[in-house]
Amino acid sequence: MIQTGEQPRGKSLGERAAASARFTGESAPVWAALAITLVVVGSVGFTAWLTVRGHAKAMREARAAQVENACRFVAEAAAPLLASGDLTAVRRIVIDAARSNSLDEMRIVLGDGGVLAAADPAKITAHHLPPQLPEVSLTPPAASSARRVVIAQAVDVPGRGRARLEASGPATMPTGALRDAQAAAGIVGAVGLVSLLLVSRVLQRRLRGMAAIRASLVAFERGERSSETLAVDESLGGEARAWNDLLSQRDIERRRQRAQHAAETLGGQRAARGELDDACDALWQGLILIDENLRTKYANGAAAVFLRAKRDEVVGSEITKFVTDERLLNTIRGVASGAIRSRLAVEIERTGDSGAGVLRFSVRPVRREDSAAAMILIEDVTQQRVADAARNAFVAQASHELRTPLTNIRLYVEQLLDGEPTPADRAQAINVIHQESRRLERIVSDMLSVAEIEAGQLRIVEDDVRLDALFAELEADYRAQAEEKKLDLRFDLPPKLPVIQGDRDKIALALHNLIGNALKYTPAGGTVRVVVADDEENFTVDVVDTGIGIAPEDAERVFDKFYRAKDRRVAELTGTGLGLALAREVIRLHGGDVTVQSELDKGSTFSLSIPMHARAA
Amino acid sequence: MQIIEQRQGAVTVLKPVGPLVQKDADQLKSRATDVLRKSLGRFVIDASAIAYADSRGLEVLVELTEELGAGGQALKLSSVNETLREVLDLTELAPLFECHEDVNCAVRSFL
Repeated sequence: MIQTGEQPRGKSLGERAAASARFTGESAPVWAALAITLVVVGSVGFTAWLTVRGHAKAMREARAAQVENACRFVAEAAAPLLASGDLTAVRRIVIDAARSNSLDEMRIVLGDGGVLAAADPAKITAHHLPPQLPEVSLTPPAASSARRVVIAQAVDVPGRGRARLEASGPATMPTGALRDAQAAAGIVGAVGLVSLLLVSRVLQRRLRGMAAIRASLVAFERGERSSETLAVDESLGGEARAWNDLLSQRDIERRRQRAQHAAETLGGQRAARGELDDACDALWQGLILIDENLRTKYANGAAAVFLRAKRDEVVGSEITKFVTDERLLNTIRGVASGAIRSRLAVEIERTGDSGAGVLRFSVRPVRREDSAAAMILIEDVTQQRVADAARNAFVAQASHELRTPLTNIRLYVEQLLDGEPTPADRAQAINVIHQESRRLERIVSDMLSVAEIEAGQLRIVEDDVRLDALFAELEADYRAQAEEKKLDLRFDLPPKLPVIQGDRDKIALALHNLIGNALKYTPAGGTVRVVVADDEENFTVDVVDTGIGIAPEDAERVFDKFYRAKDRRVAELTGTGLGLALAREVIRLHGGDVTVQSELDKGSTFSLSIPMHARAA
Repeated sequence: MQIIEQRQGAVTVLKPVGPLVQKDADQLKSRATDVLRKSLGRFVIDASAIAYADSRGLEVLVELTEELGAGGQALKLSSVNETLREVLDLTELAPLFECHEDVNCAVRSFL
């Protein structure tokens, strides 16, 4: 699988899908598996209940039959014994039968309610057998229930009449059979339940994978095309991994097709067209060929873009349909008709929201024997014109910057040559000449540095930079200028300044620009403080002034080359717009930076920071 | 996604900040198409703050270079980081773009 770098590398599509918790197939399969499990477990339970219930019923029926048989046996055995008057034997039979059949009660009752024999001898109330037994009902004393079985049986005593044998006891035998059956059903149910849970768990995982894929497909049907979104969590199983692989393959194929299509659009091999057409379409300049009737015979892709029309519309149409500038049209007509036989160029500035810029139309004749024709080359020269304007402005500004110190130098030199200066005048003149020549040196140095930056050749030469000497030099350079302008210039330096690694000239250039700007843009009576601090990591210089400040919209742009703030007070002062750009560039080459904090009309703080162990970038 | 727009001369520099993915990529497409229409394609995408791009991000870059390709141009990218460059190489899309070391180089290429 190709890593597309969409996320930190090392993660697959599925891992990223898992991380983003998309299409993990959570809800539907879980509920489905739960429902299936409940239905199956319910079925097993119900079946077990039916089995146990059936078993209990059979047990009750068997018990009833047992009690009936016992009663019948007792009745048949007791009848001849009662006929012979052997009550003792009858009573023993009753006791034995009740005990052997686990009956709570068994007795022989007479029609007058007397109890002739009973399982519990204490309940015997008739101690003598009457010669003739009174009439007796065969209705049992209570009805049988689910828990108890009650039986009434007639005892026909030959020659004496009828008595009633009653028996009652638990409906089921107090044996472990039913309990065993219930336990067996419970064990079967539990085993079935555990098996079902295991099966449902496996099934659930599989179903979640399928549900996640289904959700992905539904999203696709609704218009989602991103593989990142359509991917599923690979931990859901083999199907999920296969699905993600499929998406990855689709991405690779789509990118391949897009690349192929784009390559064709950008001038790749297209079988249906000639190499010359391909070459012309690869030009960023527009190319148009017209005949003597101003009808377009050929136009490349760039020409259509410049004319803001479709290529098919341009080819075969008159050029006047797309060009409205009268000066250009006259030129095209002159060249196409053969009246003009030289190459002419017309520049047109277009404005508006569609294709604004400066276009140069170069029109030249195409010499053919059978007819006249013209070729039009269209170029977008907007950036060149902007660059020309910036260069012209810079030259004008730089000339002014150079002229000012040169004029001062010339005046003082003339004063020294022509008059008879006093020693004080001579010293002042030499001082001014010295200052102005230093100023000239810095301007030229700035320009050279800008040229080096533009050429990508600005390099720093590392050496020890003794900061105490550097700041002493800076203070000496600017002290007179500050006093002249009535500014309070203060250098807040620590007692001992370190020696750092860097390019002394470049760091000095940056500091000169920051301090020089602060003095330049701070009105008389203001304050400029140069605050130096250093710690183990950085050496920092804050140049704090109470000057005119910088508007928020200009704060970052002041570091752009040739940029000068829109403030009227800035425009009144000379400057190339290079100083701050240079300062930031050279400090960044040292691994540091120059930043600004400012408030309009209150002042600015430019902060320069260099790592103590700076190395050339 | 934040897209910083700056002018350097007649060239517009668009600097997307953040990963170029999904809706952010569409946002860049919309903004760049607008700039392309207004400026005849004089624009540069400063990719220095694009940490990475997903498939939609790559598609948007390809779509922009296709639009520029109609006029014989290609999308100019500057300061492409190692991750994005590797993605462009792996997907064989790198040849479709003009990659420049920094914004200044890209802007100078319009001269």
